Amino acid sequence: MFAALHFVDLSVHAALKASPTAWRQPSAVLALDAGAIVEKVKLPLLAVNDAARQTGIDAGWPLNRALVRCPGLQVLPPQPEHGAALLVEMIALAETLTPDLEIATPDTLILDLSRATARQSGKLDWLEMADGGELRHVRANTPDLACLGVRVADRHGDFISPQTIQSLPLEMLGALAGGSQLLDLLENWGLETLGDFMRLPRQALTARLGATAGDWHDLLHEKKPRLLKLHRPPENLTQTLDLEHPAATSETLVFAFQRLLAPLTARLRARHVAARALRLGFQFEDGAEMERILRLPEPRTEALLDPVQLLLENLKLPAAVMGISLDVETADPEAAQRDAFKRELARPQQWQETLARLEALLGEQRVGIPEPPGDHRPDSFQLRHPSAAPAEKDAWPTCPVPLRRYRPPYEIHVAHAPGPRPLALLSGPYRGEILRFRGPFRHSGNWWDETAAWQQMEWDVELPTGFFRLAYLPPERWCLEGDYGSSEH
Amino acid sequence: MAVAIEDLRKQLREKFPQAHASVPVTEARSSARIGPMTEPFAPHLFPIGAISEVIGAGTGMLMASLLGEPEKSVDFPEFVLIDGGDGFDPASFSPGACSRLLWVRCREAEEMLKSTDLLVRDGNVPFVLLDTCGIDPRELRRLPASVWWRLKLAAESNGCRLVVMSIHAQVPCAAVRLAMNARLELADFDLPRQELLRRLSVTRERERRSG
Repeated sequence: MFAALHFVDLSVHAALKASPTAWRQPSAVLALDAGAIVEKVKLPLLAVNDAARQTGIDAGWPLNRALVRCPGLQVLPPQPEHGAALLVEMIALAETLTPDLEIATPDTLILDLSRATARQSGKLDWLEMADGGELRHVRANTPDLACLGVRVADRHGDFISPQTIQSLPLEMLGALAGGSQLLDLLENWGLETLGDFMRLPRQALTARLGATAGDWHDLLHEKKPRLLKLHRPPENLTQTLDLEHPAATSETLVFAFQRLLAPLTARLRARHVAARALRLGFQFEDGAEMERILRLPEPRTEALLDPVQLLLENLKLPAAVMGISLDVETADPEAAQRDAFKRELARPQQWQETLARLEALLGEQRVGIPEPPGDHRPDSFQLRHPSAAPAEKDAWPTCPVPLRRYRPPYEIHVAHAPGPRPLALLSGPYRGEILRFRGPFRHSGNWWDETAAWQQMEWDVELPTGFFRLAYLPPERWCLEGDYGSSEH
Repeated sequence: MAVAIEDLRKQLREKFPQAHASVPVTEARSSARIGPMTEPFAPHLFPIGAISEVIGAGTGMLMASLLGEPEKSVDFPEFVLIDGGDGFDPASFSPGACSRLLWVRCREAEEMLKSTDLLVRDGNVPFVLLDTCGIDPRELRRLPASVWWRLKLAAESNGCRLVVMSIHAQVPCAAVRLAMNARLELADFDLPRQELLRRLSVTRERERRSG
């Protein structure tokens, strides 16, 4: 047997904790922008208290309409921290009955009472929150049915079965996963109660409306048992190590962290979880402390030393280290099956590590997928990280022969005729008479901004040694920007 | 010393001909002229798990041929370009072509070789292009031959195609060496890229059997 425990208006209670004077006044919870004129806000109310409900308004009402009905309505901002504290208190109460419970929603718990004694189950009627607030509960044979039944105000303490829910309104299905479109369709069919829906033949219902409708039908007929996603308190995996001698080299620290990682790996495996991020703490000789967070590309339990070693090799420590600590953020291990019709990496962990090593070797903005420039400025590009989504751009090359750029370009002297029209390259690595040229190609940008405005003229020129791109930057700068395959460098 | 090593090699070759399957092909074949390209460079021209070398002044056209001009971007790069002299110009390629490429911008030969070693050993992108054209030739000549042998072993063990692009031949253990000649004139710069690729002349200077 399962029980559902629901804290009625939890978000309102959480908000009222921050405003104790508003307990008896009509209050609603809604996040408003600073300076918003409340009479013009059409956002729906997230929750309301009993005093507000007695005036005829309810959650979901637009604020401007609610204020017409209840001019004294107080709008309180959501208080998620207080809400979390109330949930923790509720979990502590529920654990006095059974350790097997699931957090179904932030205000509802599902309790597995199959192993609880009758005396323990009987305590369900006597649960009370310390600061007041209504705790509602129901029992049922399946967890989802209990979770559905606990939302009905007048069923507190009842046993929910397919027979007892037949008279409930059809709108209750809106709380289930599956979308409101299906609910609209059922209402258009003329169904009014859950009983009307339950009397429909399941097979025909699934054939017409899909698997979601079949799931709803099974749920209401107690034919959908499932295991609870058990809530377990977070476990502390922090480890600390005081070093016998101050460590100043990365090798010593790698060795020390290796000692901490071995038991950590074993503990992660035993709990069937993986590390998503590692927190490395350092206590220095002078009393200072430092922390570095190492985000792993994907959760894993193995090969944790490699990224730690890479981090330590590139870390500049201000003083010798006297102690270290290691904490971990855990996540479910990746268990996705590989897609046969999509190109995927053979070893994704190795790939992220290789990219990190390359970045450590070459520096930032040296590795990535090039994206052509969004403007016409020469040599303007962006480097995208391989894991980022590509940006669709429409820029096609103007020259059929790829250019090899000189970074930075060579500043040269050029003999030129008025115009200007280049005649010969007088300095730089490639000198000589210009045999033929193509251009000029004029580029300019940011003309609206005097400080950032730029313009330049470019030519493709043929020298005895090859083809080059020559640029003129007014008033008197000439640059050799690149070549199209010169014979020598 | 060099004469003694040559003698030793010759004796070993005569005694164990099967073990020396990766000898250069016959003279007639070694300078086989592929001629003008009937189709763009295909990856299968370069053997898996070996180093290939493309020499000549038109290596940019090799990139253009391999990357093509796809209209849509891909999610994941299919080629790695280790750009020794940081000379790659993204504006010379379409966005779709650029999305097929992971660009590694190096400043000197040491960075270039370390990056190549990392990426060849990684093996996630099994087609690595190493562009040495932007590196000072004196710096390249100072590299010991053992560097290339080590890369060859890494490519073999990871099944990676490593294509070295350079002005002059420099890889002693290259399984395939192609010489490219674009034979461009300034008037050709107005032609479509596909037309220029068709006119690209490629000569196979060396081909070793796998082994």
